[in-house]
Amino acid sequence: MATPVSLHRALGALMPNRSITVPIQLGIVATSAIVVVAAWQLGAGVIPAPAEVGAALARLWTTGGLFDALSTSVVLNLEAIAWTTAIALALAYLTVIPAARPLIAAVSKLRFTGLVGWAFVFTLWAHDGHQLKLWMLVFGMTPFFVTQMAAVIAALPKERFDHARTLGMSEWRVVWEVVIRGTADQALEALRQSAAMGWMMLTMVEGIVRSEGGIGAMMLNENKHLQLDAVFALIGVVLLIGVVQDRALAGLRRALCPYAELTHERTP
Amino acid sequence: MTHPYALHETLIKLDDVSAVRGGRLVLRDLAAEIKDIVRPDVADQGQVIGVLGPSGVGKTTLFRLLAGLDAPSRGRVLVGERQQPVRPGMVGVVFQHYPLFEHRRVLGNLLLATRHAGIADGEAKARALLERFDLADRADAWPCELSGGQRQRIAILQQLLCGHTYVLMDEPFSGLDPINKQHACDLIVEVSRMAERNTIVIVTHDIREAVKVSDTLWLVGRDRAADGTPVPGSRIVETYNLIDRELAWEPGIERTPRFATFVHELEDRFRTL
Repeated sequence: MATPVSLHRALGALMPNRSITVPIQLGIVATSAIVVVAAWQLGAGVIPAPAEVGAALARLWTTGGLFDALSTSVVLNLEAIAWTTAIALALAYLTVIPAARPLIAAVSKLRFTGLVGWAFVFTLWAHDGHQLKLWMLVFGMTPFFVTQMAAVIAALPKERFDHARTLGMSEWRVVWEVVIRGTADQALEALRQSAAMGWMMLTMVEGIVRSEGGIGAMMLNENKHLQLDAVFALIGVVLLIGVVQDRALAGLRRALCPYAELTHERTP
Repeated sequence: MTHPYALHETLIKLDDVSAVRGGRLVLRDLAAEIKDIVRPDVADQGQVIGVLGPSGVGKTTLFRLLAGLDAPSRGRVLVGERQQPVRPGMVGVVFQHYPLFEHRRVLGNLLLATRHAGIADGEAKARALLERFDLADRADAWPCELSGGQRQRIAILQQLLCGHTYVLMDEPFSGLDPINKQHACDLIVEVSRMAERNTIVIVTHDIREAVKVSDTLWLVGRDRAADGTPVPGSRIVETYNLIDRELAWEPGIERTPRFATFVHELEDRFRTL
């Protein structure tokens, strides 16, 4: 039976800005999961029931080629994240050079253009389907990553630059310490967001270029044949992979930049 | 009690300096010198210059000119024995919010300073200073884990490890409670007495603390026209030699009537600027 103290602690989860213990946090997650599954089960009919989705997942895994499709998608996404990170960070750091700022502003504006319209242009450049998908993903993610990091760099207080200068640093060394190393934690956070965006775009890109397969192509095929249980199973797989990837990147950020969350009220 | 002293060569000079910012004349015709103060009976005397003035008179502009972070619109700021025009990195600067490299631990921040100054045996020197200023146990802390007072000390040590003899401090007493203000005063005096040429320039509007630690005071403000309107451009309207007034180098001076009288005199003067 819950004591008044533990009940009071549990009720704290309903109050703003309260810290809660790990057991209470796990309890909230478990309760939420049960509520979602129950609602899902009750709503079955419109959408496939959990058991049907589970059966479809087993079928896709054993005979449907899910492992191969997933491997293709994971490799493609990791490649795209690596290229996007390299290109976007290089462009964002280049904002310290006044002459480069118009170019970077133009790249940033590309986020308003759709991805589909550019497919033909990339088809002319790419040698094969994999390359085409890769560059479409990179093209889709880079403007958002650049915009986010360029804003972080532009918001750096003048005092930080001046402080480095008063220690006798050259301007390039100031860039290294203040702009590159000083924003590393925020670069990793921007990377997390871009990586999540990658999974969202991946299914679309694999739908446009189906030659190599992948989980997006598989999802569209199943959708075409109205296999909704399989579609939901694939959505679940993408969600799971995305969450695992996100937690891994958050862990990497904590390991490389442990100072970043020390003064936060709570960790994300 | 009168202390014997002599003024030697010029260390910092404002040579007819004016500054226009955003089309507005902020500072005009600043001419002042800081000379090495030598006491025959005291080794490593050093000195503290207080730059006092009400808010909005251009103290920050003057601070940036002295640091070499901005160039004057006219005139020159000269520093050192060779009286060279000041450039960033020639003068130590402790900013109001004590910026440190947040991605480096305390010791890392200090070592970065020694590396740039080309100081051999930097780690030993950094650890010795941490010990001297009661921060030895904070060597592995991240800057965000430090208290305001600890941050201030680390920011000063960073500049000292750079080999800076001249250190500018922007509002070193801002936001501090009375106890920490006293700690800041003690710290400033201690740093000034670490080497003969150590010269600390504090830019502040805290009159009491400035009088408590300074050997010389520059009062910055605007002149007023006959009708009482301020004349554009602030200048150093008064230089006070606190040694001659027997207000410097006296422990517990803040508890004496002459200290209180002088503070009141400055407060009255503030209201006219």
